[in-house]
Amino acid sequence: MAHDSRREDYLRMSLRFALSLDEGDPSRAAREFASFTRRLARDRDSLPQSDADRAFHLVSLATELVDYRLPFAGDALADSLTARGLALLEEALSLDPNCHDAVRMSFSLKTPSAEARWRFLVEREESVRLSCESTRDQLCAELDETRAALAENVSMRPWWRWLADMAECALICGRNRAAIDAAERLLAAEPSDLSDVRRTLVYALAKLEDEDGVARLAAETGDAWSLLASLALAHKRCDFAEARRQVERLLAAYPGCAPVLMRQIEIPDGRFARIRVPARGEDELILAVSEGVVLLQEGAERSGKGVLGAWLARTVSELAGEKDDEGASRS
Amino acid sequence: MNAWDELVARCAARRNEKIGPLSDDAYAELVLAVRQSPADFADEPGERALLVVARALDGYRASLTRDDLLDDESFERERARRHSALAAECERAVSIDPDCLDARLIALLASEPDPDPLLTALLELERAHAKEALPEGDAWEDVFCRPRLRLRAAVARTCLDGARFRMAASAAASLTDATPDDPLGARHTHMLACARLEDEAGLGALDARFSGRESAWSHLARVLLLYKLDRLTAARRALRGFDSLCAGGAYALLRPVLTEPYLPDRPDVAPCGFEEAVMAVREAEPIIADVPEFIAWCQEQEWLVASAQAFAERNDLDW
Repeated sequence: MAHDSRREDYLRMSLRFALSLDEGDPSRAAREFASFTRRLARDRDSLPQSDADRAFHLVSLATELVDYRLPFAGDALADSLTARGLALLEEALSLDPNCHDAVRMSFSLKTPSAEARWRFLVEREESVRLSCESTRDQLCAELDETRAALAENVSMRPWWRWLADMAECALICGRNRAAIDAAERLLAAEPSDLSDVRRTLVYALAKLEDEDGVARLAAETGDAWSLLASLALAHKRCDFAEARRQVERLLAAYPGCAPVLMRQIEIPDGRFARIRVPARGEDELILAVSEGVVLLQEGAERSGKGVLGAWLARTVSELAGEKDDEGASRS
Repeated sequence: MNAWDELVARCAARRNEKIGPLSDDAYAELVLAVRQSPADFADEPGERALLVVARALDGYRASLTRDDLLDDESFERERARRHSALAAECERAVSIDPDCLDARLIALLASEPDPDPLLTALLELERAHAKEALPEGDAWEDVFCRPRLRLRAAVARTCLDGARFRMAASAAASLTDATPDDPLGARHTHMLACARLEDEAGLGALDARFSGRESAWSHLARVLLLYKLDRLTAARRALRGFDSLCAGGAYALLRPVLTEPYLPDRPDVAPCGFEEAVMAVREAEPIIADVPEFIAWCQEQEWLVASAQAFAERNDLDW
């Protein structure tokens, strides 16, 4: 799962559309709804929408620029993408001052310091939750039961993203208990974990060397994040055989991705939310490794890769070498 | 490590075993005689090897004071020469007594490997040379146990350096269990590990157990813990404590310097003095690096910067 701003834009518009339909005439409503998707694509302005919906649409456009194009842009283009993204977010805020995603993203784009972002998110978290709850209550009062469930979910998402961002910022700042706290609050509010905050959580637990906590999450998710966290813990307790087995598990789950584990590049976090990438693909491992630098780069190691980072790069290259040797002896 | 004191104690104990048991007075006489001329009493391989180590450490420590006027390149050359001379003497001690753990430990530490290979080598040393259980009661009382205790302390510190904080804590705890008075300062390593693991109860328990023996480590660990727990008002208060109770603590924190490896353990310095603050900051370095904006936050405290600057001026240090 992951947050998808375009999909969410669609959901918001469809809910708004449903509100405008005449409930007294079901067949007419069904006919109208059939035309909704076409109108959304071709003639968005002909559809009913609030300023908040318009603002979210701008957030979704900004997300495409700053989360999906910016990381791959050269320096010259990067500045203009950031500027355009910020302009869209400003416009969103002028339409809807309560557009929490726009507030958060624009602060994040302007603020390199994770500490400052953390402080900003903590200070406003409570009011964001209250605001989302009030939107939810208003919307749900007007909708039938099926749609109300969806409306409830969509209304709360800006707060979920706020908490997920808080957890990630806390992790970067070295505040692992705070990261765990934010992640657990989010999971309590939204157990299906649309935000994949368990990925942040498993790293924070690994930072505190909480073996049980990491094992519990690894059993639940089994994703690259939990494999990397388990690997880190095995390495920390000097169980090198087990750490090596976890590396092999990672390599088996992400075939052909050995270079990702050796290079360990860091990419910027998504501003809207963790970026969407295909499950079990190379990009997913790149994300896990990039967020995992908090584990990889720790310790007084001279190469600058960190104790675990250096060990991982060496082990992967040894394992890849062994594989090459096997291949050579077979041919 | 005071190698001469330990050599005297060991030689006297061996002689007492051979000719004794002596009365307390006679034993005191014997200790005086050994102290006059330890070399004459070092007749077992263990003591002869320790004699070599004691002399090598004297030479090493004396050479440390001659660095001030060297430029960077000559400093590096001199430093490498000093370490290899010490390591060579330690090898000589090992050739006299293969079980001379201090010599092996010092040679290993002087080669300054990265934390992973160092830890592997230290654990290997423990397996090969420190298998027997420690005696009941305070193990420090038995002078023949001390090399193993020093090795354990090095294991704990190396775990901390290599980001193995639970292992660092448990190695340190095993030492404070074996030597309740903690002459090797394993509690310092343990406190830093608690700070990094955000273990407030653990740090509190150590503070209580060693209350009245506050140190640069205990003050710094408290600051780091509170900062990590995002209790900034309390962290600021603790930082004030570190600054006012540790001479030059602010300077040590804001202007960290390269320090020599511990060969084989921390040098004796005054509690809460500048040298201690420098050691505490150096040992906490992996933890400080893991809270990327901690130093920036320290620098925002104007009184801290002022205090560091005043210390630099008083002591003629670079600022």
